[in-house]
Amino acid sequence: MSLDDDMREALDMFVTEARDLVQGLEEGLLELEDQPAGGETVNAVFRAAHTLKGSSGLFGLRHLVEFTHVVETVLGSVREGQLDVTPGLVSALLPCTDHISAMIEGIAEGRLEPDASQLADGTRLLAGLSPYLDGGAAPAASVATPGAEAAPAEAAWRLGLRFGPDCLRNGMDPLSFLRYLSTIGTVTGVVTDASGLPDAEEMDPESCYLSFDVDLVTAAPKAEIEAVFDFVREDSDIRITPSESQLDAYVRAIRAMPENDRIGDVLVTSGAVTEMEMAEALRVQQERAVREGTQPVPIGEILIEQGIVQRDIVDAALTRQRRTTETRSQDTRTIRIDAARLDKLIDLVGELVIAQSSTGVTPGVSAETSNEAQGEVMRLVDEVRHSALSLRMVPIGTTLRRFERVVRDVSMELGKEVSLTITGGDAEMDKALVERISDPLLHLVRNSLDHGIEPAAERRKHGKTQQGTLRLNAYHDAGNIVIEVADDGCGLDRDRILGKAIERELVAPGTALTDAEVYNLIFEPGFSTAEKVSNLSGRGVGMDVVKRNVTALRGSIEVETTRGIGTTIRIRLPLTLAIIDGFLVGVGPSSFIVPLDRVTECVELPPGPLGRDCMNLRGEVLPFIRLRQLFGIPGEPARRQNVVIVEQSGQRTGLVVDSLLGELQTVIKPLGVLFSRVRCISGSTILGNGEIALILDVGTLIAGHSDREHTRQAVAVG
Amino acid sequence: MAKTILIVDDSASVRQVVSIALKGAGYEVITANDGKDALAKLSGQRIHLIISDVNMPNMDGITFVAEAKKLPAYKFTPIIMLTTESQEDKKKQAQAAGAKAWVTKPFQPEQMLSAVSKLVAP
Repeated sequence: MSLDDDMREALDMFVTEARDLVQGLEEGLLELEDQPAGGETVNAVFRAAHTLKGSSGLFGLRHLVEFTHVVETVLGSVREGQLDVTPGLVSALLPCTDHISAMIEGIAEGRLEPDASQLADGTRLLAGLSPYLDGGAAPAASVATPGAEAAPAEAAWRLGLRFGPDCLRNGMDPLSFLRYLSTIGTVTGVVTDASGLPDAEEMDPESCYLSFDVDLVTAAPKAEIEAVFDFVREDSDIRITPSESQLDAYVRAIRAMPENDRIGDVLVTSGAVTEMEMAEALRVQQERAVREGTQPVPIGEILIEQGIVQRDIVDAALTRQRRTTETRSQDTRTIRIDAARLDKLIDLVGELVIAQSSTGVTPGVSAETSNEAQGEVMRLVDEVRHSALSLRMVPIGTTLRRFERVVRDVSMELGKEVSLTITGGDAEMDKALVERISDPLLHLVRNSLDHGIEPAAERRKHGKTQQGTLRLNAYHDAGNIVIEVADDGCGLDRDRILGKAIERELVAPGTALTDAEVYNLIFEPGFSTAEKVSNLSGRGVGMDVVKRNVTALRGSIEVETTRGIGTTIRIRLPLTLAIIDGFLVGVGPSSFIVPLDRVTECVELPPGPLGRDCMNLRGEVLPFIRLRQLFGIPGEPARRQNVVIVEQSGQRTGLVVDSLLGELQTVIKPLGVLFSRVRCISGSTILGNGEIALILDVGTLIAGHSDREHTRQAVAVG
Repeated sequence: MAKTILIVDDSASVRQVVSIALKGAGYEVITANDGKDALAKLSGQRIHLIISDVNMPNMDGITFVAEAKKLPAYKFTPIIMLTTESQEDKKKQAQAAGAKAWVTKPFQPEQMLSAVSKLVAP
């Protein structure tokens, strides 16, 4: 791996880390708004800003450093108790976290410099913070880089070094300083003064008694030589004098003191601007920013203003710079893994290797021993798989807590008072799922705030607390993760939904529907009951999109509502997208897998006339689907057929199959693009004997069954 | 043999960048996430220089430095503290604890390299 790759990797790491920090910052601020006295929270928030500034400096991300510095300063005053947390302060700081987050995303995409609109945003936001600054928040001091390229004439210096007696104890070895000097210039002579050495019996071997006079010829300015001894200056006597009367050189050297110049790299390399000119321009930039208390003017502007380069050159440099950074924007996706989990996996693999060797053919080993060894391998494979899958599991809490901000902003916008309670944040689910569920959840949350929870006045009228409550809850249930979005609002209006559905021709007038069926209508495409379309929801993309997204993740969604009391929307998702517990069935030569969590029971198909597609299950009518017929599988049905009873969203249907082959865990392989329109099949898997089994999509099977047309259209796959 | 440097910082990207810079200059590098982790790593190997952040979870940098200085093997080990301009008091505390050198955050990798090479040659 080249150094460049290393740095790129480090930058990716920084982006991941920075995202976490910003989120921590935001969460902390929201917490502070609720409990302004939280000392630990103040510390945490300050630390987040502080760390962010520190690491962004490491990558030379000046815009980020400078912006974060001001935020940090404000938070610093809060920490010192000079500033109280007020809603106004939090409201001023929250957009700043958004801005920081935008800058980080920009960096993730390879834009290491802010664009004009970001700069404008930054300036505006900082202006918003200015009332909270006691004038002391100058943008972060620029970081000086040693080693000037445009070298001024070399000068000779004499260095008188009298190290303090404690310097060895402090870890400061005089010899290493002398060695370092030769990296910035040429040491032409060293005179060691040992006159301070006491007699042997009085000598403390841990103390330093030596002094040195060093002749140094260097192009480095005096300040840089001085900086070499920064760490020992306190208890040593360091004198640096020009060896001859080289005052001119001295003055020149002072002028040549470099400042950091990452921004102008392109310009400098191209030769359009010298390093010194750049340094000067940076100084002006800093000075102006300090004076006006704003984000610095872009360096290019200053160079142009000072008549150093033409605008064309700056523009060309900017586009070139952008082009070089664009190439690195392919986003490598990373995930943080608890080290303990990785260790466990490695342990298991180790055990597996041992177990494997014991299954090897050894003469004289009984079948019993070998069976035992094989059992062990199987157990380990199972555990390895389990542990490997758990690597992708992340707690859902982080995603849920993101909604604190949404709830705050949206409820403010709507003028409602809403508090958010989050429970079950520890529940873990597949990282890929977490990412894909957050948009649907966002929609549900907004919907609840917008349509569910009533305005304060209305709530009072109904004898409810003025403040509405939105509850996000997550828990594991039978191999699934369930996420609930619950509000204590007005609940769904059955009549209005039905009226609307009839108006939209989703149901025929006069159809008798159960409550659940009526409420499920809100998930139908093209359904929206909100009488006035607000800014937040009711823009056409509605609950149907939510449902589609959830279904695409092999999940289901249900709604539970009581008029006047509230609504709970429950999303049920598999823990992972990669593996399901399946139930293998055979129809003729084909095998199918029914997701096990959908299977309720299996019974034998009672004999009866062939044409009838329903049976009597303990006194209830159970419709069933003959898979042989549905998929057009040739051949005669088995003499004794079985019915697998599946259930989804409260609807039960039987699947008629030839044989029941048992439970198994299967790795899902998605069907190719070619089969993306095939109904009733959600994927495939490869069985132990190398054959392919198709995974049935119970949802569409049941839905298709209630609508004969679809059943007939089902694509034959036998 | 190359000199070994221990980097203690809770930020993975800081550890990474500093490691790259130091390894590039020919040092051996060990990293630790916080003071506690770092203390555990002190024993059993020879470390020639320690770079430590101040603000860290579990055990902060100043406590760590004070603990490290109590160990006979680290009596003479130079320690570089990562401080910020707003932390003059922390810098003083760190110096009192035994960390006489410092690098001010935000810093560039080159600055770290120059600070390190003042104290220990690769």
